[in-house]
Amino acid sequence: MSESLDKLHNRILSDAKLKADETIREAQAKVDQIIAEARQRAQKEADELLAKAKLEAEAVRRSILSSKVRANRLRVLDEKNRIVQEVLGGVEEKLSNIAKSSRFGETVQRFVAEAVKAVDSDQPVVRLGFKGSSKQNLDSVSKVLPKGSKLVFEEDPVDGLGGVVASDAEGRIIFNNSFRSRLERLDSQLLTLIASTIFGE
Amino acid sequence: MSGIDAVRKIVETEGQARRIVDEAKVRAQQIISQASQEAEMLRQEALSSAQKQREEILRVAKEKAEAEARQSDVETEQLLKNYRKLAEARRDDAVSKALELILGG
Repeated sequence: MSESLDKLHNRILSDAKLKADETIREAQAKVDQIIAEARQRAQKEADELLAKAKLEAEAVRRSILSSKVRANRLRVLDEKNRIVQEVLGGVEEKLSNIAKSSRFGETVQRFVAEAVKAVDSDQPVVRLGFKGSSKQNLDSVSKVLPKGSKLVFEEDPVDGLGGVVASDAEGRIIFNNSFRSRLERLDSQLLTLIASTIFGE
Repeated sequence: MSGIDAVRKIVETEGQARRIVDEAKVRAQQIISQASQEAEMLRQEALSSAQKQREEILRVAKEKAEAEARQSDVETEQLLKNYRKLAEARRDDAVSKALELILGG
């Protein structure tokens, strides 16, 4: 009886150890699974973070470059504009001193003829005013005026730079043929012409 | 050995067996718990490494962009210089053409 009791004792303990070993084995297997899954999850999170970082980096790069390119384009435009304005300044200077040039008489006659034609009146009133001009060197203008016209010599240059303004007798129809007015009318063409001459555009 | 002693011994043995199994369960729980900590550590290490890589990627991208921006500045300076030279050389011609347009147009 004692022998079989010992066997039972050993059997019970041996079963318990087997069960304990099995429990530990299962735990170990679960550990392996936990670690493998954790690695996989961590890798996925890291990959996502890096993919996002690459997009972020591209956005940073674009932002830095685009603001620089924009700023530099503005600098170029500013400089081109400054150059064009400088040329226009030179043009205005030449225009305001046109009375000294050899083509003054012919130019004034043409401006007057244009203005009178535009007003289309039997009794046009023509006002003239140029820096440095005298009534004498404007007398030739009367040659191109129709009968009934009135000629007024202004002391100061018309619109600051000089020119011609024609109107009907009542002053209802006015044609401004001053240099300033012509500059404004030809503004877009002038800018294109100056830019193409200077920059070849 | 009496029958009572035999029963007592079996009861003791079963108690011992239960302890062995219970201890194994506690041990298993500890192992799993440690593994969870280890897993969290692995995650933190991977993320920390990725975070460092992210900072490096951003730093490199920023440096590269700034270098390109500096290059853009250099090119712009050159362009402005060329425009100034052109303006100097062609200014009188541009003034003459503009005058022709205003006086003739």
